[in-house]
Amino acid sequence: MTISRRNVLLGATAAAALGPMAARAQASEVAIGVIYPLSGSSAQIGVDAQRAFETAADIINKNYDFALPLAKGEGLPGLGGAKVKLVFADHQADPQKGRAEAERLITQDKVCAVIGTYQSAVAVTVSQICERYQIPFISADNSSPSLHRRGLKYYFRAAPHDEMFSTAMFDFFDAMKKKGQKIKTLSLFHEDTIFGTDSANSQLKLASERGYKVVADIKYRANSPSLTAEVQQLKAANADVLMPSSYTTDAILLVKTMAELGYKPKNIVAQDAGFSEKATYDAVGDKLEGVISRGSFSLDLAQKRPMVGLINEMYRAKSGKDFNDYSSRQFMGLIVMADAINRAKSTDGEKIREALAATDMPGDVTIMPWKRVKFDEMGQNNFADPVLLQYAAKNFVTIFPEQAAVSEAIWPMNS
Amino acid sequence: MTAETIIQSLASGLLMGLLYGLIAAGLALIFGLMDVVNFAHGEFLMIAMYATFFLFAYFAIDPLLAAPLVAAALFVFGAVVYLLVVRFAVRAKANAGMVQIFSTFGLAIVMRGLAQFFFTPDYRSVTHSWLGGKTVSVAGIYLPEPQLVGALVSVVAFIALYFFIHRTDFGRALEATREDAGAVALVGIDKNKVFALGWGLGAALVGLAGAIMAIFFYVYPDVGASFALIAYVTVALGGFGSVFGAFAGGIIVGLVEATTALILPPSLKSVGIYAVYLLIVFIRPRGLFGSM
Repeated sequence: MTISRRNVLLGATAAAALGPMAARAQASEVAIGVIYPLSGSSAQIGVDAQRAFETAADIINKNYDFALPLAKGEGLPGLGGAKVKLVFADHQADPQKGRAEAERLITQDKVCAVIGTYQSAVAVTVSQICERYQIPFISADNSSPSLHRRGLKYYFRAAPHDEMFSTAMFDFFDAMKKKGQKIKTLSLFHEDTIFGTDSANSQLKLASERGYKVVADIKYRANSPSLTAEVQQLKAANADVLMPSSYTTDAILLVKTMAELGYKPKNIVAQDAGFSEKATYDAVGDKLEGVISRGSFSLDLAQKRPMVGLINEMYRAKSGKDFNDYSSRQFMGLIVMADAINRAKSTDGEKIREALAATDMPGDVTIMPWKRVKFDEMGQNNFADPVLLQYAAKNFVTIFPEQAAVSEAIWPMNS
Repeated sequence: MTAETIIQSLASGLLMGLLYGLIAAGLALIFGLMDVVNFAHGEFLMIAMYATFFLFAYFAIDPLLAAPLVAAALFVFGAVVYLLVVRFAVRAKANAGMVQIFSTFGLAIVMRGLAQFFFTPDYRSVTHSWLGGKTVSVAGIYLPEPQLVGALVSVVAFIALYFFIHRTDFGRALEATREDAGAVALVGIDKNKVFALGWGLGAALVGLAGAIMAIFFYVYPDVGASFALIAYVTVALGGFGSVFGAFAGGIIVGLVEATTALILPPSLKSVGIYAVYLLIVFIRPRGLFGSM
């Protein structure tokens, strides 16, 4: 044990010392690190993410007629047509493995940028390593609001964070109340890592600001073998809206346990994650008719913007699934990063960082319902408007905000 | 907190506890037989759950009918694991303990990796079955049928195991081998055969548990991890090597987990289990029913 650890340390120190000297010269390939859970309990997320990034790389590297940055022509014109090469790393949902893998990507694979990570807890460590090596990092699909508030120079997020998502949920509640619905009490149900904690904190804050009563605030251990006790408390509280922030495994178990204990929530408005995953709906979709989840993506958009449908077809050919909230954000993460590298005309970290900071991409050249991609001084894009989607008749339809909605919300969910 | 909540918690805890006991039984049996901790125990459970899922998905066999098939398949699997892996690991002359730990630990990682490679890491579920989603409700107390049947299977399995160990020749051979493996060889009992059958039996028990669990739990390559951890505590609590200790340990773990969640926030419910374990270690280090 000691010897191997010492070796690793030696190796890391040597690599750190050599790192800045190693020439990151212009090459016919630009290596971008992509760090996801490829094994362990959320491995499927990482496997689907790989397909999403490959779809984006495909569009960049080959010639497509889409109104998307870098789609036309091959490779990155700013770097003489250099191709994007993705280097995947597996963090197993473990922040410490994420730290080590990020370091390896930068020092050994010589990536000039890193994208990740699904779990916000891992984004914390990965982005710290990127900061230390002055390599830009994009949070493609992390939604914890605390991530961009750490004063990191090399951290960027094009997608919304959970406060923006939660604000949309409460805007929606307010709008429903105006229409005469009774919404007074809320139950929060959240897992115990940074994702669930941040999500619940922003929901608690919004609830007190807008006069909703939180009758149950239940934090549980992720990947629990049983959620019976938790569900009993939710059942006893029987709030007007149940607001879960759960990854896939717990989402499935939650829905099954609620059915077993005879609890039918009046409404569920979910913080994405497990409630956007096909596996959840495959397992317990019959019990989820009418569930509402926030998202940053909706396939409805294909009606207005045909390229969304075409790119979705490309993704489905690779993965067998439609784009969901995660894969769409992952796809955009690489497009935004590649666009910056192209404008930087360099693989130097600092130059890419400057180009990212100068990004101003209109919403209609993305596959998202966003106004634009433009980062504030903390690296957050505040123009990424979230949407709320409702699962009805085995499909997700956009129900909020009104300008994006294609149908009225079914409320309460079982009506 | 109403009386209803308390009764519901205790009932749920008891049902879950009986299942924890069944999961842990195989671990306790194998440890009792040859002092080897099977670190791949959770992965045995995972394989059993996948087997049940695939029997359902491809042959439309209900998990209840699949349970004996899965148990039989796991019996063979357990025996093969002994003959191909453990038999060699226990021969180690130096660092015997380490070699045993790493051989079964390595096996666990290989099994997880293979499961992820062949079955993909996707979360699978048995979507409809005879018992799935059905619940018995008595005076406001809800008892899910899969867990009820699981508890019943657990009780029956332990009774059968009792008679098997105490009333059959093989059971006596098992006990004798565990007492003194060298001496049984002198009276013509093949030690390897007994060990292989012991591993088979242990795996068959966890196979039974896996088939029942597939009714109400999702299946994915890492599913065994959290249950295995509980199984280790259950065995340690009940007493290393005592199969009936595992039964009692399971019930205690289930009830303690449920009552802790009544008093503390649910995210701390496993704290109760480990606190009780520590207490028992102070008072009775070998576990409740453990022999020296």
